[in-house]
Amino acid sequence: MVVPLFNEEESVALLVNSVRDALGTDVAWELVLVDDGSRDGTARIATALGVVDPRVRLVSLARNYGQTQAMQAGFDAASGEVVVSMDGDLQNDPLDIPRLVAMLEQGYDLVAGYRVRRKDRFFTRKVPSWVANRLIAWLTGVSIRDNGCSLKAYRRELIDQLHLYSDMHRFLPAVAAATAAARITEIPVRHHPRRFGKSKYGLSRIAKILADLLTIKMISSFRERPLSLFGRGAAGAVAAGIVVLIAWLDSIATYDVQHARAYVLPTVALLWITLACYLLMLGLIAEVALQKSREEERDGLRPWPGDAG
Amino acid sequence: MSEIGIVSFLPAPQRGAPPALDRPAVSVVVPVAERPDALAELYEEYAAPLRRSGRSFEFIFVAPPYFAAILRPLDTLMERGEPIRVIQTGRAVGETALLRTALLQCRAPLVLTLPAYRQVTADAIDKLLEGVERGADLVVACRWPRHDAWINRLQSRALRLAIDPLTQGRIHDAACGVRAIRREVLQEIPLYGDFSRFLPLLALHNGFSVTEVPCRQHTRDMRGRVYGPGVYLRRLIDLLGLFFLLRFTEKPLRFFGLVGSTFALSGSLLLLWLLFQRIGGQGIGGRPLLILSVLLFILGIQSIALGLIGEMIVHFNAARGRSYRIKRVASPG
Repeated sequence: MVVPLFNEEESVALLVNSVRDALGTDVAWELVLVDDGSRDGTARIATALGVVDPRVRLVSLARNYGQTQAMQAGFDAASGEVVVSMDGDLQNDPLDIPRLVAMLEQGYDLVAGYRVRRKDRFFTRKVPSWVANRLIAWLTGVSIRDNGCSLKAYRRELIDQLHLYSDMHRFLPAVAAATAAARITEIPVRHHPRRFGKSKYGLSRIAKILADLLTIKMISSFRERPLSLFGRGAAGAVAAGIVVLIAWLDSIATYDVQHARAYVLPTVALLWITLACYLLMLGLIAEVALQKSREEERDGLRPWPGDAG
Repeated sequence: MSEIGIVSFLPAPQRGAPPALDRPAVSVVVPVAERPDALAELYEEYAAPLRRSGRSFEFIFVAPPYFAAILRPLDTLMERGEPIRVIQTGRAVGETALLRTALLQCRAPLVLTLPAYRQVTADAIDKLLEGVERGADLVVACRWPRHDAWINRLQSRALRLAIDPLTQGRIHDAACGVRAIRREVLQEIPLYGDFSRFLPLLALHNGFSVTEVPCRQHTRDMRGRVYGPGVYLRRLIDLLGLFFLLRFTEKPLRFFGLVGSTFALSGSLLLLWLLFQRIGGQGIGGRPLLILSVLLFILGIQSIALGLIGEMIVHFNAARGRSYRIKRVASPG
């Protein structure tokens, strides 16, 4: 279990208690609390909880890095065969965990929860999240109803292949599908209203998310062949250039060659063709730059069970 | 007759006391990069408070070949048995490379960087070292109260304006070269380019605790200094690089995408307007505005494409390192 925390001093103790109640003693579990540079008493309380129950561990980050980095730190510290992530604000319910894990056992690599009857503000939280989820599904082909729900369960093999950075936690299923060919499913989970503190999200993230979406599209569709994306862009630019060129030929056939359009139009056509060349070259550079990384990735593949030795 | 070229990768030649087995408590590193004062006097001035405080110490002077003559007075001090080491680099390098060379030679757990010119009075050293001993990872001197020529006041004001958003106002005198640092911190901060000037910012970015201590400004530092235009240009480029490094290394598209979409959007709006006019029956083939709008659009697409390349590189490099630093792990056993 991995829980990223940021300034959640009131929630920590309740969280640990509810996890303890939910998981009981039937399965061996550990709880990794990641303190993402909180400035309140979160770390102190979490440490104390760890002393009481040795199954609770705390990883303190050096500063506030963000949820993605906190999650990655938790994944790196967690040792379980199955890893579950959830929010530290008590809005997820640990009672759902056994159901998530049961789904994993049916052969999935990642089981995402989606919040039914979500208890959040409508316009600032629910609407943007609905739009974002639709966009992600449309762009990446991974249709998860609720990417923003942190309650997810993963297989160890998948965690080992995931390397989260920037703000990737929002697109985790899409990244997992693109880079590790993960089998993904989702089940409904309970959602509680916020009890303590303020939500740490705001509406100001939209521009950032749009940029991230573009990145996700790039990674999920053109990871293997960036040249094909840049090649398409170049083809479009060439087409625009040809249209302008035809307009030019047409204009010098019908008008006086001394007219300004005799100079402006070929310039514009050349500009488009410059863009095409530039995009093609960028695509080639991308292929070259990524070749080395691909080789490393290939070398990193583990042998099939039984093949080794 | 052709000579045989021999390429050797020997460490930079050193003069002075050979590394002894007993480690000093403080290594003082002096990169001799610009406008050096007389080094022997500088040494005497700054070694005095160290000697008085009873800490064992060593001084490491690093200089490019250009400053060989300036290092000479140190030889007599070394002959007297003062704990000085002098490193000369093989070729002309910048301050950051000098610092990196010197740091490899440091033996003490605590490093004090000191510019080869006087910025603060010598009693600052005690305060800085105490700050680190009290638990800070890096302590930087802050010249206060400040008596500068107006031109330098203007310069530091401009610098503050540029870097305050990066430090949240936690560092007031980032340009001060007098800093005390724990050695482990230096091992975790990659020093390259010209970023040594902003060491406190890099330390903050890596999650280390950085504090500043007000120190009395040296009278020598109060004189006005004006540099050539090339220096200012280089500093501006450094700042831009630093800004990008701290904000966008993990998400280049956020930067390039913002710039690019601004261009592409204004270009497409202009193009739409032209299209509107064309439909209205006006010829647009001869309008310079057509060139401008297409240029803007193309510039935008190019920036976004570059950002995407950056994202791909970041994505494939993500497997190589961690993007966070752990302060502490509390677990049983």
